Amino acid sequence: MRNFKYIWVVGIVLTALIILAPIVLFASKEMEKRDDPWTAVPDRLPPTDHADLLPGPYETGPEVTQACLECHEDAAHEVTQTVHWTWESEPVMLPDRDEPVTIGKANQINNFCIGIQGNWTGCTRCHAGYGWDSADFDFSQEENVDCLVCHDQSGTYVKANSGLPSEAVDLAMVAQSVGTPTRQNCGSCHFNGGGGNAVKHGDLDSSLFYPSEDVDVHMGRYDFQGVDCHKTEDHQIGGHSISVSVDGENDIACTDCHSETLHADERINAHTDTVACQTCHIPEGAVRDATKMNWDWSTAGQDLPEDPHEYLKIKGSFVYERNFMPEYYWWNGDADRYILGDEINPNEVTVLNPPQGDITDSDAKIWPFKVHRAKQIYDPNYNILLQPKTVGEGGFWTEFDWDLAAKLGAEVSGIPYSGAYDFTETEMYWPLSHLVQPKEAALQCSDCHSDNGRMDWEALGYYGDPMRWGNRGQTIGLTTETEEN
Amino acid sequence: MLKKTVHTQPKLIIVLLGVLFLLAGLFLFVGQTAVAQEGEEPEPEPTAAPLTNSLHPTFPLLDEDGNQVQETGKPVSTMQTCSGCHDAEFIAGHSFHADVGVSNMTEPGQTGNGRAWDTSLGLFGKWNPITYRYLSPEGDEVTDLTTPEWLKMFGVRHVGGGPAEYGRDGQPLTDLAPSADSVETSIIDPETGERIPWDWTESGTIEMNCFLCHLPGPDNEARKAAIHDGNFQWANTATLAATGIVTQTTGGDWQWNEAAFDEEGNLTKGAISIQDPNNDNCGLCHGLVHVDAQTPMVLNECTPEQWSTITTGQIMSPQKISESGINLANKEELRRSWDIHTERVVQCTDCHYSLNNPVYYQELTESRPEHLQFDPRRIELGEYLYRPLHEFAKGQSAQGALAPGLDNTIRTCESCHEATTTHEWLPYTERHMTALACESCHVPQMYAPARQSYDWTVLQASGEPVVACRGVEGGGETFATALITGYQPVLLPRPNADGTAPLSPHNLVTSWYWVYGEEGSERPVPERALQAVWLDEDGQYPAAILDVFDSSSDGTLDETELIIDNEEKETLIASRLEAQGLTNPRIAGEMQPYNINHNVTHGEWASKDCQTCHSEESRITQPMLLSTKMPGGVTPTFVTNGTSVLSGELVTTEDGALYYQPKAEEDSLYVLGHSSINLVDKLGAFILVATILGVLAHGTLRFLAIRRNPNRRQPEVREVYMYTFYERLWHWLQTALIFSLIFTGLIIHKPDIFGAFSFAYIVQVHNILAAILVANAALALFYNLASGEIKQFLPQPHGFFNQAIEQTRFYLNGIFKGAEHPFEKSPEQKLNPLQQATYFGLLNVLLPLQILTGTLIWGAQRWPELSAQIGGLTYLAPLHTLITWLFAAFIIMHVYLTTTGPTPLSDIKGMVMGWDEVEVGHATTTSATSAQAD
Repeated sequence: MRNFKYIWVVGIVLTALIILAPIVLFASKEMEKRDDPWTAVPDRLPPTDHADLLPGPYETGPEVTQACLECHEDAAHEVTQTVHWTWESEPVMLPDRDEPVTIGKANQINNFCIGIQGNWTGCTRCHAGYGWDSADFDFSQEENVDCLVCHDQSGTYVKANSGLPSEAVDLAMVAQSVGTPTRQNCGSCHFNGGGGNAVKHGDLDSSLFYPSEDVDVHMGRYDFQGVDCHKTEDHQIGGHSISVSVDGENDIACTDCHSETLHADERINAHTDTVACQTCHIPEGAVRDATKMNWDWSTAGQDLPEDPHEYLKIKGSFVYERNFMPEYYWWNGDADRYILGDEINPNEVTVLNPPQGDITDSDAKIWPFKVHRAKQIYDPNYNILLQPKTVGEGGFWTEFDWDLAAKLGAEVSGIPYSGAYDFTETEMYWPLSHLVQPKEAALQCSDCHSDNGRMDWEALGYYGDPMRWGNRGQTIGLTTETEEN
Repeated sequence: MLKKTVHTQPKLIIVLLGVLFLLAGLFLFVGQTAVAQEGEEPEPEPTAAPLTNSLHPTFPLLDEDGNQVQETGKPVSTMQTCSGCHDAEFIAGHSFHADVGVSNMTEPGQTGNGRAWDTSLGLFGKWNPITYRYLSPEGDEVTDLTTPEWLKMFGVRHVGGGPAEYGRDGQPLTDLAPSADSVETSIIDPETGERIPWDWTESGTIEMNCFLCHLPGPDNEARKAAIHDGNFQWANTATLAATGIVTQTTGGDWQWNEAAFDEEGNLTKGAISIQDPNNDNCGLCHGLVHVDAQTPMVLNECTPEQWSTITTGQIMSPQKISESGINLANKEELRRSWDIHTERVVQCTDCHYSLNNPVYYQELTESRPEHLQFDPRRIELGEYLYRPLHEFAKGQSAQGALAPGLDNTIRTCESCHEATTTHEWLPYTERHMTALACESCHVPQMYAPARQSYDWTVLQASGEPVVACRGVEGGGETFATALITGYQPVLLPRPNADGTAPLSPHNLVTSWYWVYGEEGSERPVPERALQAVWLDEDGQYPAAILDVFDSSSDGTLDETELIIDNEEKETLIASRLEAQGLTNPRIAGEMQPYNINHNVTHGEWASKDCQTCHSEESRITQPMLLSTKMPGGVTPTFVTNGTSVLSGELVTTEDGALYYQPKAEEDSLYVLGHSSINLVDKLGAFILVATILGVLAHGTLRFLAIRRNPNRRQPEVREVYMYTFYERLWHWLQTALIFSLIFTGLIIHKPDIFGAFSFAYIVQVHNILAAILVANAALALFYNLASGEIKQFLPQPHGFFNQAIEQTRFYLNGIFKGAEHPFEKSPEQKLNPLQQATYFGLLNVLLPLQILTGTLIWGAQRWPELSAQIGGLTYLAPLHTLITWLFAAFIIMHVYLTTTGPTPLSDIKGMVMGWDEVEVGHATTTSATSAQAD
């Protein structure tokens, strides 16, 4: 004992342990840090200066691609495996069908410009490739992959018909500027879907190039880029839209970064099983630029006064809306899809991509939708929707002849055409996920739970406002009981 | 194939289709009928449904004789009309909203609130300086308001029935013959100031107005106009004006619109919808209600209709404050709603429900038998609809003194909220919840302005008193141009039914006014007399007043000049009042509390930083400005029905402003970190400083003595294994604990000095440290008992005093001369007699006392009764503090005395390593008691 010189060290350690251990064990920290959403946001790669690597000059797009492939050997092959290239999904099974079908811009129609078949040169301006101008486009030609449209950082790259670079583009300069895709790259196509700014989605438009905080909290307040949420690996970009990709695979969710129960308020957390985050946090669509809500093709071809937001001879009449209140439906992430050639009931509204799910579906939540309503051409004898040729020779936009356009379109798309045409009502559903608002601007209780609330509770399957009439569980439970009786 | 419906369950589809078919059939049927009736042009859309989904069936409107109004052209009688299905008489007879005090009137001054002239607890007879006018009792020489004039003025905030229909003795007003002799049947002629007869049969009376509260959009403006005009019988009819059932002609007559009635005389479907009262209905009289969350709310003016808003700043709206149209300071940051309950779609009537509503009715905890959680036996819905009690659940508030029998029937916070589970983060939860009402933290701030003071001793040229608001800065005339800052309510104890008196937020409205008459039977000076005193016939200030008040000599009086602040002014106005025939005029002042229970916010915005209260500038004792001046130097008295307690004091600052200063100790509160008893800290500091000075002096003398005599004897020493490992561990553990406890205790005592530390965390650490200290002390006690070492700590009864004196003399004298220690230190006898005495006191008195007080402070929430018996925190906490000071002083002394060993550091080294240096060759007594310093 005497010789143990460091007994005092033992004493200090022991004393400290006896005191500190209970403090650490029993004194609770004030507020535990919430999950940090930033951990899920990918790091941005530092840009590589390509000025010396790609000296140019380049005459054509494919020449640039080949130059890219010298270093990024697999890049073009990767792109050819994506829907940005194929415009068509892997075969999927849809409800009430015997065989899987492929779905995409390549072979299906929507209720905007209807379909690309026969209209390739106009539509493929937004294809991530060069030269898709007919059904014969060779999807295996890797040098036709357009690297620049996604990677240009010069802001000068513009695509023309068939997706070829516009003649004025200085390809060498663009090639030297390449970097990680920004909102500018994604937006050059996605903000212009449907033929112009803000037309299609209702939550994607040019206001997101330089958004202020009150347009979108992620992009405005924190300068998020598209690929921060749409995480990308081997050129496979996360996310999908039920207009072209109806199965819930490849989903992006708020909960990728945020906890579902992050609200300080239990009352709000109690909503997250039945209400999508988007429902409260995207109170309005089209907060800056009006979006197209209604498109009546049947009035096209007349010599009426033109206004791009009301009437165009080539397209018919439109209704645009800004700050529209979304419509609310159950949605489990999947959708059914109208496949070219399907029979319709012309006396009913045909929904081209009905979202799946209802109150009894535990995967379904109430989501906000932009619903685009249209009157589009169909064959009243065969009761199928037609895919008219609009662009180019014989197309409706030059001849204003529906019969001819229908006939040419039917030939290309391989559907029958009886020679008679009429117009029928269709709907497409666009779930909203952009234009996210912070909690301060999110919906409040009375926005839904009041006499003039925005939910149609009975249409959603409730007996009435669930705040008073019972929530989903109670409603389903009661329903089952009644049925048994 | 693709189907229109997205439902996949066939059963459901069938059911839905069935329902669809039924609906379609019904629609077709209705459509065809409509076509058949209307002839050629069918409406393309189905005819508009009633605005709401009201279940209320349609009904005829009846006049007082029970005939249909569209036939007779007479005003509607709600009693006749609603009696068709409901027991209207029962309803009107059981409603404090209708009664407003008329059935319980007393002689003036008997209501128990301290005012000598109040005659009831309700609107009919309870005076309020905000509205000022006084309902005169029968027999007063000077009359202010007669019953008809009261109704014209206050009837707009009264639902009808009660005093609008019946006299003070219960007889129908229409039975009373017009007569100038009675205040019930006369009115003051504004020209002459004399009473002239009022004919109730001509004006009619106002029945309880069912429409006002049960219509989604009552026409309150039309109703108010009719009441102001004294056209009482049409007031309830006017309430229907917005429905189009009745219209007012340009001549002012009311005409029933025949198209609103069907062939049988019932109102057509959709002409009217009857509903449960919603917040808007309540807001017509009670305060600003703004149910639309989207349209920015504006705050224009303060009218008595917005009673709760002007008295407290309470606004019932789900709107985020930041979204309102009010010019609020830091508005952008105020991303909370005005009222969380309104935001969460809780209606006024959800808490203030009809007391026999079978859905809401709950037995009071006090009267409920112990074995029953819920009594399912209640009236049927049909019975309820026949006789819905219009006595509504109410709290016990300072302003709602009416119907005291119904106090505390309301759903309180605890009725709906399980507070304990959501407040687990809050240390001392129970203690906090006993001392504080929920509102104290959950209404941390009022964002709208409220009235602060009324000075009726003077009049502005407009005839208005000088009014001050709190929560407004600059801006001049209206709230629209001012910066609204809001205010923090003052916390006053609010005695509850269960005997507790938690602090709860209040506004205090202070008023000064003239009274006249003998002491004990005084009355407020009628406004009429005030006007005559202050303004001449042209509405200008008379020269006599300007001479005295117009200090700027600009011919008019602004708000800074309109103040009675010297004898000359007071005498002048008093003499002018006497000239009006008022005897003994003098200035009185009063202070009225207004509870704040609304505008609650949720946890995110509630006060939850410990230092809000546990700091020098504590919220608990935050003073409230009552007025920047005191007219006539009169100290206001407190008007209360005992529902709020003013235990603090009134403080006047040098510039003449009057504050209310709450005093926590008066409410038996000792707020750690805020409260401290100065004397205790001063005494403790004195002892500590004296000890430090003492050891410094002693040390200096020792130092000098050694310097003077450098050659003095160096004691020969040998090393003895003095302290076992356990003893050393015990000692140093206790050292570390005591130091940490003093440090953390200091942070808790004066958190303002140590802002970097989290108060709540430090409190926890302090408690844990204390627990370890107690465990360490207990183990040591066991060790000493078991090993017999305890004997060392016990002074020897024999010869103790002599030995102690000897030791004292050594410290006072011998130590400077290099004398030997009188007692040798040995492992068997480590302590000298002085140490024994000190430790005896320390271990038997101070330490147990400290542990006891500490435990009771900690246990104040676990065993509140026990703590309270010993005097509560107000005694325990200062005692705990004082003992800490003594401990600190002991430590100084203790450490100093360790330096008196053979070398200054040898004792400390001994306590570290166990081996102590002991002087050898000590004269005689190795076996006798020995040793040295602590």
